[in-house]
Amino acid sequence: MLPAKSRTNATVGRFDWLTVAFLLGAVLLCYYLVPLLALVLSQPPGVVIQRLTRPTVVSAATTSLTASITSAAIASLFGLPLAYWLARVDGRVKTIVTAVVVLPLVLPPIVSGMVLLTVVGPNTFLGGLAAANGLQLTRSVAGIVLAQTFVASPFVVVTAKAAFESVDRSLEYASQSLGKSRLTTFRRVTLPLAWPGILAGITLAFARAIGEFGATIMLAYYPRTMPVQIWVSFTTLGLENAFPVAVILVGIAVATLVVLNVLGTNPLE
Amino acid sequence: MLDVTSLTKTYDTFDFGPVDLTVDDEVLSILGPSGSGKTTLLSLIAGIVDPDEGSISLNGDHLDGRPLQERRTGLVFQDGALFPHMTARENIGYAATDRDRIAEFASLLEITDVLDRRPPTLSGGEQQRVALARTLAADPDLLLLDEPLASLDAPIRRRLRRELHTLFTSLEIPVIYVTHDQRTATALGDRTAIVRDGAIEQVGSPMTVINRPATQFVAKFTGNENLFDATVVEQREDTSLLRVGNVRLRATTTAAVGATVTLCIHPSRIQIHAPNEGGDLYGENMASGTIDRWLTEGNEYRVDVELDDAPITLTTTVRPPSFDQLPLEAGSSVRVTMPPDTIHLLS
Repeated sequence: MLPAKSRTNATVGRFDWLTVAFLLGAVLLCYYLVPLLALVLSQPPGVVIQRLTRPTVVSAATTSLTASITSAAIASLFGLPLAYWLARVDGRVKTIVTAVVVLPLVLPPIVSGMVLLTVVGPNTFLGGLAAANGLQLTRSVAGIVLAQTFVASPFVVVTAKAAFESVDRSLEYASQSLGKSRLTTFRRVTLPLAWPGILAGITLAFARAIGEFGATIMLAYYPRTMPVQIWVSFTTLGLENAFPVAVILVGIAVATLVVLNVLGTNPLE
Repeated sequence: MLDVTSLTKTYDTFDFGPVDLTVDDEVLSILGPSGSGKTTLLSLIAGIVDPDEGSISLNGDHLDGRPLQERRTGLVFQDGALFPHMTARENIGYAATDRDRIAEFASLLEITDVLDRRPPTLSGGEQQRVALARTLAADPDLLLLDEPLASLDAPIRRRLRRELHTLFTSLEIPVIYVTHDQRTATALGDRTAIVRDGAIEQVGSPMTVINRPATQFVAKFTGNENLFDATVVEQREDTSLLRVGNVRLRATTTAAVGATVTLCIHPSRIQIHAPNEGGDLYGENMASGTIDRWLTEGNEYRVDVELDDAPITLTTTVRPPSFDQLPLEAGSSVRVTMPPDTIHLLS
């Protein structure tokens, strides 16, 4: 069989078209990395740590973490069954449902917030009904969770769908032919094999949720999440005061990439 | 016993059935080209796909509408379909938790040494052995195999074929073995069914299917390239005299005098001789000709002979040392003979 990769390309370090391509791409890489390094190095670590302990920062971090974990959990609860269903059906319905799932990914977040307000806003039927029962769907953690779930849950569905699709159907048939129920088959065969992909989807959804700003600010200016706190600090006290929270978010983004690579199923690669 | 009655399934581009089939405690090999419906038949029997019409019963129990896990049907796939996150032992133990039973099947299929390895580290042959052990450990009432040897190298395939034959003989349950390989089908099957375009063309013993094909398709698919039109010129007792060009062939079959029939002679049943050898006293069932070409196929030669007295080319197979004894080459004159019982008339 012919080798899939050319050894010549790998062993000869000549200045060819591949080098040109890399140099052009390197400009973009620098554009990614330089601002991040500038952010981290702009202030002494001691000052950043001191500002991290401020009540507003701690409160924003707590709100963001609580809401994001809840959003990721809700996205998993409803998203994983949908992902499995999508992975196991064919036809036009699948195409349409997949398009609906992807819609929040391509909608501008601020527009997502607007469309959500038309359903759960204070003057809507749902918003009014929930408020009458003591649950505020806007200007509350619930509002943040609603906004985050809307924009982040597609990551769970899309990534988990790909993970379920990668599990060969013949493995499920083999399990069932050995007398195992669908549930046992799912628990012992499908889920373990799809698990790294599912976990990657949940991790991505969590990362997207914790960085959510556009939809969140429409539904819940208070309590402040970390992105909202950055915005408020920046507009009222200046850029320097927004740095500590930004550093936390950068740290979470890096941790997400580490988790995805440890799982070995980075869907973004 | 498996009973399949009037089974049909319609897809967008393919109609399967109606198929009727009865399989006793025997091995039925299903032979057919790609896309002929072999795997569809297995899927319907296994319960992976629901039929549009028809019924399936196993030992008197109707399986219609029953889910896969309630059919007691063992399935062996082309790639083994082993669970990659489990060791070979865990794969077999998935169906049978009894350690003695796992050891019994591991010993039977000679995989004791690889029980603690995961499927990706096993060879293709070992994977299929583990897959078989796993399936048999579930104690199925019916065994369905979908080309389990197809992806294996020839030496391993030959060895496993022999082992499977021994294994199947001891099972005493209906076994359906799907393959597109004629050698595997005839080696393993007590009976062979030829499938074409979603329908069964012929069911019979391997020798019957090869030497007495029911249709031209069956003849061609089983390697019978010698298909010719002939005229029946005489009918005597249980034999007929046929004429192809000026070649006279007596066949142990009856046909109406004057009728045009299609005859076939399997290449392996035609004998090739030096120009002055062979033939009978009456000049029947023999013809002289010239070797057009020959090629090596495994351990035998496939020789095309253009007949002098008929506008046809006969294909025959010759095994060493016959070919070496006869200094044959393209352009050489030869004589071919075919006994009356080798000439089969297609219905």
